[in-house]
Amino acid sequence: MPQLGESIAEATIVDIKVKPGDEVADDQEIIEVETNKAVMGVTTPCKGKIAKVSVQLKETYPVGAVLGYVEASEADAARFAKQAPPPSLDVAEEIPARADEEVAPARQKRISTRDGDGARAGGLPVPVAAKGATFMSPRVRARMAELQLTTADLAGIMGTGAGNRVTIKDLENFMQKIENQTAHEASAIRSGVADAMRRSWTRPLSTIGSSVNLDPVLQNRRSRDPKPGPGLYALRALALALAETPGAAAKLIGNRVVQSNSMDVGIAVEAEDGIMVPVIRAADKTSLADLTAKYKELVDLGRQRRISPDMQAGGVATVSNFGTFGMEWGTPIPLPDQTLLLGLGAGKKVPSWDEEKKEFVPRTEAQITLSFDHRSIDGGGAGRLLKRVIELLEAPEQL
Amino acid sequence: MSITYLEAIREAQAKLLRDDERVFIYGQDVGGAFGGAFKATKGLAKEFPGRVLNTPISEDAMVGTAIGAAIEGMRPIVEMQFADFSSVALNQILNNAGTHFWRTNMPVPITVRLPSGGTKGSGPFHSQSMESIYAHYPGLIVMTPATVEDAYTMLIEAVAIDDPVVYCEHKYLYYHLKADRLPTEGLPTGRARIAREGRDLTIVSYSAMVHEALAVAEHLAGEGFEIEVVDLRSVKPLDTDTVLASVARTGRLLCVGESFPWGGAAAEVIARVAAEGFHLLDAAPQRINAKDTPIPYHPNLWSTHRPNAKEIARKARALLRE
Repeated sequence: MPQLGESIAEATIVDIKVKPGDEVADDQEIIEVETNKAVMGVTTPCKGKIAKVSVQLKETYPVGAVLGYVEASEADAARFAKQAPPPSLDVAEEIPARADEEVAPARQKRISTRDGDGARAGGLPVPVAAKGATFMSPRVRARMAELQLTTADLAGIMGTGAGNRVTIKDLENFMQKIENQTAHEASAIRSGVADAMRRSWTRPLSTIGSSVNLDPVLQNRRSRDPKPGPGLYALRALALALAETPGAAAKLIGNRVVQSNSMDVGIAVEAEDGIMVPVIRAADKTSLADLTAKYKELVDLGRQRRISPDMQAGGVATVSNFGTFGMEWGTPIPLPDQTLLLGLGAGKKVPSWDEEKKEFVPRTEAQITLSFDHRSIDGGGAGRLLKRVIELLEAPEQL
Repeated sequence: MSITYLEAIREAQAKLLRDDERVFIYGQDVGGAFGGAFKATKGLAKEFPGRVLNTPISEDAMVGTAIGAAIEGMRPIVEMQFADFSSVALNQILNNAGTHFWRTNMPVPITVRLPSGGTKGSGPFHSQSMESIYAHYPGLIVMTPATVEDAYTMLIEAVAIDDPVVYCEHKYLYYHLKADRLPTEGLPTGRARIAREGRDLTIVSYSAMVHEALAVAEHLAGEGFEIEVVDLRSVKPLDTDTVLASVARTGRLLCVGESFPWGGAAAEVIARVAAEGFHLLDAAPQRINAKDTPIPYHPNLWSTHRPNAKEIARKARALLRE
């Protein structure tokens, strides 16, 4: 098995084009192998006759394994004979060449998924000593801790160890490559957001969406001073909808459903190099006017970088108005300690079918999406919540 | 000039007899013209009359007498004819010699030479490697020289040390291992030697197995692997620092010892590395020892009983692929 690529450790036989007895030319493709990158050909080292094929179709063999033998002329055989180093004692004759070792196909051990299989030693369940791609040796872990890396950072590394696991050498090579690229220290905010998003993503998240008629909100806005943005209307609507069905904001922790007493909703505020999400406590009990004043305060604090972690903790949901960036729809990620995130896109004038007038009428429409932790709430519950939010937004005098 | 491992031991004894009048050699068939079962004392009885003495076939009495002589100020070198027979003197070595200083504040500077390890056809009672038994007990120093140079300097050091020393010389190396000259000084006992530098895998070994490990390293170099070979030199004291530094460099550890597996020196090395250097390991540490059966007589069985380069290479490759 030739070296097929920098990080290739093994390949699977997909086609054997010859059988013992066949005459072959020099550099003739006789076996096809597949790696996780591509299908490649293995060619003969010289002219001759196939003496033996040592491998089987669909099995995987490591680089360096003997795939077969070609009976060649003496001159050709001499070309390939390796000079063994003189032994210091009478022992080197004992060592077989790597090629002579019978290499068993590399197969992954089957792991039982049934709880209680294998020895259940009256305490912790006992895992099969499987070493797969996710195995991290003590050395790799220690080095990662030293470099403050997480498993998410390993995603960019191609492992060359057993089962494609990342060895310490793979990790060090990767870090070396990074040294050679331009890099600067991540800001504390960047690192913080990265960690929060990594933790958020450990849950099964889903998003549903619909369109909302923004004209009622735009109309309502005209008579207000100061004027709340559509995001604040959405926040108020969400808070009221949650107050009506508080179960929608409950969190699943282990096998317990934990409900919050207060509908604290966060609103995304853009800071210099990241998003801050301060939480407005009891948003269902805060009038739209007060919400507007509160929001202005938070924007100022955000600019001064004075939004503390305390101010961002303890919410049940957040509203993100990416419509202000011109985006129409999105699938934002609920914060790690929350289960819901309402996303509001930019309003657009679109034709809408009016059933009464039996014609298309212009209307300002925006896409509104709700991302949720699918462990605590499913599509039906999320859908009903979003529908209620839309209802309230289309009748803003109720907000 | 070429000198064998056995000749180095003889030269060291000659030097000791010459330089220190307290030294005498005490063993079965060591005196007269015979000069020992392996000729380790050939010519010495003639050169140093009255200093190379034959004993009865009683290891218990041999060591007991030597302990008495040491307490009286002598520096005896006891030659066991085969390491295996020393078990008859276990009580003398472990309990009398080993604890004497601890109990009475009086040192017992004896050196017990054990011809260790097997040769083809030597069988269960002429092939044993007993370093792990002696290393287990407090109060003893256990040397396991792998080279002609160490055979020379470490025996001289053994006699100079005030504690009882068990000096395990390997029979297979006696005539097979040769050097150009004898050194004037060597590494101190308790310091391991890097026999070959590497970066992909550490093989820790001692005595004859060092040469098997070096052969494997030489062979695997042709496959692109650089194996580091550590020669412990003495199994007690065991140079944990050098071993840890090597594992820090390579991340992978294979220990090879010729003794039986249970509680061998290889197991001790791995226990220390697992406890103190867990974070240095990129793969589970491995060991190779002789099989857990009495040592066979038949040459074919014997050659598979003890670790050999083939087995070491196979295990090393598997560990490198982890």
